[in-house]
Amino acid sequence: MRALIDFLHSQTIRNKVLVFGVVMSTIPLLLISLFYYSFVKSDLETRILEKQHLVLENLSREIQYEFSQTFQRIHVLASLNLLNEKQSALYELLQQSESVEEVIIVDDKGFVEKRVSRYELNIAGDNERWFTDEMWFQLQTHDRVYGQVEFNQYGQPVMKLAIPFYEGESKKAIGVVVQLQKIIGKISSMRQDHSSYIYLIDDKDRVIAHQDYSKLWQKQTSGGQDELGVTAEIEDLNWVLVMEQPKTTAFAPINRMLQSGIGAVALLILTVSLISVWAGLYFTRPIVSIDREMNNLKQGRKISPVRMKRTDELGKLADSFNDMSKELLEKSRLLEQEKERLDVVVNGIGAGLALVTKEYRITWMNPILKGWLKEDRLTLPCYAVIGGENAPCLNCPITCPDLDKIADEVMKFKDGANGERIFRHRVFPLNHAIEEEGEFLVVLEDITEQKQMEETMIQTDKLSALGIMASSFAHEVNNPLATINVYAEDLIDRIQAGDEDLDEEEMEHYLRKIKENTERCKRITGNLLNFSRKNDWTEDQIRVKEIIENSVSLVEHQLKKQRIQLELHVDRGLPAVIGDGLKLMQVIVNLINNAVDAMESEGKLIVSASESNGEAVSIKVTDSGHGIPAEAMDKLFDPFFTTKPIGKGTGLGLSVCYGIIQQFGGNITIDSKPSEGTTVEIQLPAERTLKAGQGVENQAGKSEITDGHGNSAQETMEVGYDVSNKIVSR
Amino acid sequence: MKTKWYFFFLTTIAISAIIYAFLGVRGEEPVEIGVLMIGENRYEKFTGLEAGLKDLGYSAKEVNFTVMNAHDDEVLIDKQIDELLDKKPDLIVTLGGIETQRLKARMDEENIEIPVVFAGLAAPKELGLIKDYKSPGGLFTGINNYHASISGKRLEMLTSLVPAIDRVHVIYDSKIDVSKLSLEETRKAAKDLGVAISPCDASSKECLDTLWKTVDDGEAILVLPSFRIESLTDEIVELTEEKKTPAMGLYDFEAEKGLLASYGSSFYSQGYQASRFVSLILQGNKPGELPVELPDGIRFVVNQQTKDSLGVAYNQDLLHIAELIHPEVQGGSKR
Repeated sequence: MRALIDFLHSQTIRNKVLVFGVVMSTIPLLLISLFYYSFVKSDLETRILEKQHLVLENLSREIQYEFSQTFQRIHVLASLNLLNEKQSALYELLQQSESVEEVIIVDDKGFVEKRVSRYELNIAGDNERWFTDEMWFQLQTHDRVYGQVEFNQYGQPVMKLAIPFYEGESKKAIGVVVQLQKIIGKISSMRQDHSSYIYLIDDKDRVIAHQDYSKLWQKQTSGGQDELGVTAEIEDLNWVLVMEQPKTTAFAPINRMLQSGIGAVALLILTVSLISVWAGLYFTRPIVSIDREMNNLKQGRKISPVRMKRTDELGKLADSFNDMSKELLEKSRLLEQEKERLDVVVNGIGAGLALVTKEYRITWMNPILKGWLKEDRLTLPCYAVIGGENAPCLNCPITCPDLDKIADEVMKFKDGANGERIFRHRVFPLNHAIEEEGEFLVVLEDITEQKQMEETMIQTDKLSALGIMASSFAHEVNNPLATINVYAEDLIDRIQAGDEDLDEEEMEHYLRKIKENTERCKRITGNLLNFSRKNDWTEDQIRVKEIIENSVSLVEHQLKKQRIQLELHVDRGLPAVIGDGLKLMQVIVNLINNAVDAMESEGKLIVSASESNGEAVSIKVTDSGHGIPAEAMDKLFDPFFTTKPIGKGTGLGLSVCYGIIQQFGGNITIDSKPSEGTTVEIQLPAERTLKAGQGVENQAGKSEITDGHGNSAQETMEVGYDVSNKIVSR
Repeated sequence: MKTKWYFFFLTTIAISAIIYAFLGVRGEEPVEIGVLMIGENRYEKFTGLEAGLKDLGYSAKEVNFTVMNAHDDEVLIDKQIDELLDKKPDLIVTLGGIETQRLKARMDEENIEIPVVFAGLAAPKELGLIKDYKSPGGLFTGINNYHASISGKRLEMLTSLVPAIDRVHVIYDSKIDVSKLSLEETRKAAKDLGVAISPCDASSKECLDTLWKTVDDGEAILVLPSFRIESLTDEIVELTEEKKTPAMGLYDFEAEKGLLASYGSSFYSQGYQASRFVSLILQGNKPGELPVELPDGIRFVVNQQTKDSLGVAYNQDLLHIAELIHPEVQGGSKR
């Protein structure tokens, strides 16, 4: 059944409509036919049995009547008491009863006294005994005696009937021979409908009348289950009349009806099938056409528009299909163009792309990424394949649901195929991704060369600064050295002169001065050495104040030389920042150098450091120089862009500053007004665990930087601003 | 393609079913029954046969009769037998002894096997048509009209009806076997009854002439079975009326024509009775298994006018049981 349902389900609509039509037309017809067949069959059976019962009742009454009439007549004959005188009474019996062959009267001894016969002469034989012993015995006790069915000389079935009667004192008897052939013949030859037949069984269960004469005088065979039949008993005689009819013929009329019905059903099925097929074709042709064209469309073959002259739903469906397929083809073409472009971009972007699921499984990667990665590790999680880690990255947006903020901030490093290489690793969530096919796009950029370039730029910039500061350094070192020389020569002279005033206290004073100036030289050269050292990014807690002081010391001479007044304001309790102190020093030196260049001679330089909102440390370098032209503002951080005269600047300063502040995770802002001056603000993330101010003396909330001579480092210079330009970078 | 195959099979099945249905409603062919009669006067048997079959439930549509009437021509009957056999009917009903004997001879010659029902003939066993009354065997069965065996009884009835009879002239046909057998029976009875008889052979032309000359008062005539004698009935009636002679015929029609009485089975009832055999054979019984029957009834008919005109004394007891007919008043009776 299941297989049949599956088979039907797999058929086309046309076949389904056909099956539906045939089933809906035939099943009700068949059910109604079946109902009427069973109803009519049972009704027919009842009617047949009723009819059989009626026929048998009539026949049995007839037979009973025949015998009782005969007995009645014999009784009348006996009661007339005229038997000896007239034969006419006996003749009359013959005349009255056609079936009586002969009438006899026997005396009390059983001998025939008188005979009247229909066929024989009326001569009684001498001492002729007419009764059988059994009948004669019965005559003594019964008033009616039936003999057995027997045959006469012509083979006719006959039966003897007798009654006793008294004539005077003697008990005599009247006997008659009854011809049975008429009864038997009537029963046998009576035409019955539909092969019905009647038979008569005597008291010894012999068939004495049957339509089929071959069954005569045999023991009764009981009717089988294949026959419908009824019986009627004939009292006194103990005969049984049976009427039977084979079921095959009894139900022949309804079977014929069924036969005709089959023809009608077949004709109906044929007609309905034709109608169903027509309907199926009418309704399904458009669907089949659309389906065919849809398959063509699916397989990329050429399609032709479905044309039909109808305005019903199917017609509209066909029109919609035509429009839709046309639009689909157009969009497919556009999509292919897009795809081609995307392929070119994906393969030519120079970056590695990969799709990653929530379980860090890589489902796709572009050829560039495949080339970068080792083939045998592609089945591992993304963090193992790309980062070589054992656990997901700390800031991975896959792990952290707060994706939007950190999606493109994640940086990772990976061992490249050719030695150490540096990659930028960013993860983007895909809002319309197919589940299990990668919900995140990982973008990997090889930034090794960029990093190397940046390092080179930093170093170049540093060397450039060193070059600028070289004369300052020399002068700066020269001063203490001259002082040392003066003190040393004076001391030698006084010793050689044997100055008696030169006591130990004074000598200690001379030596202390020499020592102080030596230390000063050492500090200057140390700063220089430190500044010029090429180093990799090292992270440490750095004290901003110390870095500012070191930076200022490097440019101190230059400021003095150009009579620039320096003001230094560093807040007390300033938090430390995390990063490379030297790099920060390079930034501040660059900014001061730029400020100095902007002021040329005389001016005011303010270097300040303060805590900003408790989350960042803000360092500001403000000059009173000529400011930056508005048109140059957009290009300030571009490498090799400079507004300085040829030979004075490399154009790398601000670009390097920008890169370094980026590495700190901070930002740099330039606010400039032409002819008034420029303020550069650096904001660095504050490290709250350690307060740099702990090691910084700060009494009045602001520290003062003093020069090596104990003079105040705070210098005041004239400043002037008019136009304001501002640029903000991250 | 599948749809085409489906329609091919569906159409084939549908057409087959329709043909099958038409076959189912096709009517049955009627039964062909051939009827042989030597002369017109046996037509009554055919009428009885038709009525009997109708009463047994056979409609006219179901049975088709081919009736061959030889008009008392013994030569013609043979021709008609050949014609009938050529038509190969399902069954043949013969309406008398001569027809049955000729038919049997022809069928034996040609080795044809068609069931035959004889609608009343005298002494079939003695004529060799059947082996036994109870189981006839062969293709023949029917009604033994008992007219041979009953001949003695008829003599007794005649002499009992008119006790004054001294001699009985017995008209027989020496060319008809049944007639001869009947004469034998009559002789035996005459002997038992003590009645003198004078046989007269109707096959010779002199028979009636002789009777005209010899019949006298106190004498009577007994007619024995023979189709030839049946055809002489009018002449015999003329003789008995003229001579005032009591005569006993076989058939009621003889009494109707003017004989004093008749005692025997009527043509009509023999034909009617024969319908039972026809029905039994049509229902599948073999004729050889159907016992030969005696007539269902014997009619004792007395012509009232003849009785009154003869002027003799009658046995009132017998007259009491006789079926009196008045042909002139009734205009003839069929039974």
